[in-house]
Amino acid sequence: MTEGLLSEWHVAPGAKFRAGDMLFTVETEKVANEVEAEGDGEIAEILVAAGETVPVGAPVARLAGDAGAAKVEAHAAPSSSSAVPPPTSAAPAPSAPAPADGPAARKLMAEHGLERSEVPATGRDGRVMKEDVLRVIATPLARRIADAEGVDLRSVAGSGQNGRIKARDVEAATPTTPAAAAAAPAAQPAGVQEIAPDAMRLATARRVTAAKRDIPHFYLTHEAEITALSDLRESLNAEDGRPRVSVTHMLIRALGLALEEMPGFNRIWAGERILAFDRADIGMVADTLDGLRIPVIRDAGAASLDQVARAARDLAARARDGQLTPEDVGDSVISVSNVGMFGASSLTPIINPPGAMILGVGAERALFRPGPDRAPALRRELTLTLACDHRVIDGAAAARFLSAVVEILETPLRLLRPARRPN
Amino acid sequence: MTEIRYIKAVNQALWDAMEADPSVFLIGEDIGAAGGSFKATRDLLDRFGPERVYDTPISEAAIAGMAVGAALTGMRPVAEIMFMDFTTLTMDMLVNQAAKARSMFGGQGSVPMVLRTPHGGGLNAGPQHSQCLEAWFAHVPGLKVVCPANPADAYGLLRAAIDDPDPVIVVENKALYAMKGDLPDAPEARERIEIGKGRIVRPGHDATVVAYGAAVTMAEAAAANLAGEGIDVEVIDLRSLQPWDEGLVLESLSRTHNLVVAHEAVEAFGIGAEIAARMADIGFDELDGPITRVGAPFAPSPFGKTLEDAYRPNAERIEAALRRTLA
Repeated sequence: MTEGLLSEWHVAPGAKFRAGDMLFTVETEKVANEVEAEGDGEIAEILVAAGETVPVGAPVARLAGDAGAAKVEAHAAPSSSSAVPPPTSAAPAPSAPAPADGPAARKLMAEHGLERSEVPATGRDGRVMKEDVLRVIATPLARRIADAEGVDLRSVAGSGQNGRIKARDVEAATPTTPAAAAAAPAAQPAGVQEIAPDAMRLATARRVTAAKRDIPHFYLTHEAEITALSDLRESLNAEDGRPRVSVTHMLIRALGLALEEMPGFNRIWAGERILAFDRADIGMVADTLDGLRIPVIRDAGAASLDQVARAARDLAARARDGQLTPEDVGDSVISVSNVGMFGASSLTPIINPPGAMILGVGAERALFRPGPDRAPALRRELTLTLACDHRVIDGAAAARFLSAVVEILETPLRLLRPARRPN
Repeated sequence: MTEIRYIKAVNQALWDAMEADPSVFLIGEDIGAAGGSFKATRDLLDRFGPERVYDTPISEAAIAGMAVGAALTGMRPVAEIMFMDFTTLTMDMLVNQAAKARSMFGGQGSVPMVLRTPHGGGLNAGPQHSQCLEAWFAHVPGLKVVCPANPADAYGLLRAAIDDPDPVIVVENKALYAMKGDLPDAPEARERIEIGKGRIVRPGHDATVVAYGAAVTMAEAAAANLAGEGIDVEVIDLRSLQPWDEGLVLESLSRTHNLVVAHEAVEAFGIGAEIAARMADIGFDELDGPITRVGAPFAPSPFGKTLEDAYRPNAERIEAALRRTLA
């Protein structure tokens, strides 16, 4: 049994029930099961209406009161050995717009020093669940080799049954062959020092290696004419008492608008599945003394430019100070990496998993281009390079998306208006 | 070397043991003038006389009881139970007396007896004449169990069992009785096989099949089939089930990282379960796939040929199990 039809609710939202009370009826092709409560409680919200078909394990209702662990699994009550009805569970309330990860998942991520972005979210509304943190299916031998070689099993694709990671998968993911690793380190010639990388360097190295290996990248480059954008920025910043707006902030807002208007791009590849997001969260690559950080500006499609600027400044400051919280990172489909301030004319970036795109931004340049009257016209341009995950995005579509971003930047008043309704 | 059949190797081992040691005698049903139901004792009555080749009434409990008693007085009886199915009637003597005597007498007594009995199907002999009950004996501390897979082992393991100071159950596979193999002509060149040691029948590095009895030949066929696909399977003949060669299996698993256990007996609660559980424990970090078992389904052995063919494990099932563990 993989799914069942929730045919009838026996309790209403707000109604209290006692252990043994019938909660609902689940029908499969073969049987109808009355599911009874294992403990006392109160239904706060019904998530699956009568008549809907739900997969086994999906939450069907939320319980009132504190979502204590005991209540979470309070009434998975199989009344027949041949069919297991979907357990109800008190999923965390979807009250805040930010997905509320399972409490056990948050605890585990904190304990293991995992960033939210490192864990695939399979829960409702993109929540990270406990299983997502724990779930690495690997054979004992694969685990042993991964341990010895320092390979993160999360970054290894399993080739065995049910995606099980086998020894051969770990060996393929091992940077050096075991034989080479076992060999005594060769003495370095004069003038060459061997330096053990610190944990941050090592983590970054592994992460980008995995990203480049596992994500089929392709790149598109587009020049954006930003004279109007620069003028708008200057006039906005001329006003006191408002957050100072940077080009990066405007890019974040532009990406937010583009994702809001083209929701088909707000998607990531999650291992033979695609996850689609409602909200346009934009990552911002920040260079800190501790290495790269990618805090996320939430809902940049709906936030005003001032709100984006304020949030981005706050996140950048906290990234510098090492004060980012797990809620500040992860879950962005696209990130911006701007190296313009260092004078580089363009940047071809590596996607930050599990995102699907990253935009590399070069320095603003002034140059002459042929104008409408064929006379040289002074223009200010940015080179934008969009790296895309080909598993979810094809070339022509990506070009449309990048053109849309450029169009927003070249019509910068749009940054001050809400998103157009997606057509 | 002479090519002989499995049943003749058993006969030769009995002959040689009786020649070598006057305390060895045979006891069983129809083993004298009739030469045994499967002819394992042919000609032995003529050579050694009725004092040492002792026909009994149809009472397996009496055969076992007399054997245990004789062994306690220092004789080396070799009892034949016509079908392993009938060993159920010997259980009290074997489990409560033979297996316990050494411990209960503080090591001052022992029961140097052998119980020979054929197991296995393939003869359309039905549910009461086809069973493989070796796991029952292997479960009892104090009993040893061996199961030869070819004529040379049938000779070598039976000789070792007769020499052994403790009760040994020698399980012969009746479908293998006609199997041919070589045995040296000179009696002194015929070797005993140490109880408790297995043998690598075919070396390989991709997966290990641990088998015994008739399943060894099936495992070899499965390995030969997979070799055509470049899958290199190691086959181990366990030879001895209690004690079994844990070190050899672990060593093999450490090289191949994949394990299949195959036997003709019912899979549930069988020898394979013990090996799988032990390797999942001491060999856990070596495993690169699930340990899979091949055995008969949890059902009585059927009479009819078609049904029995479907019931008995075979090379194809071992091959399928190998593919599953390697997937």
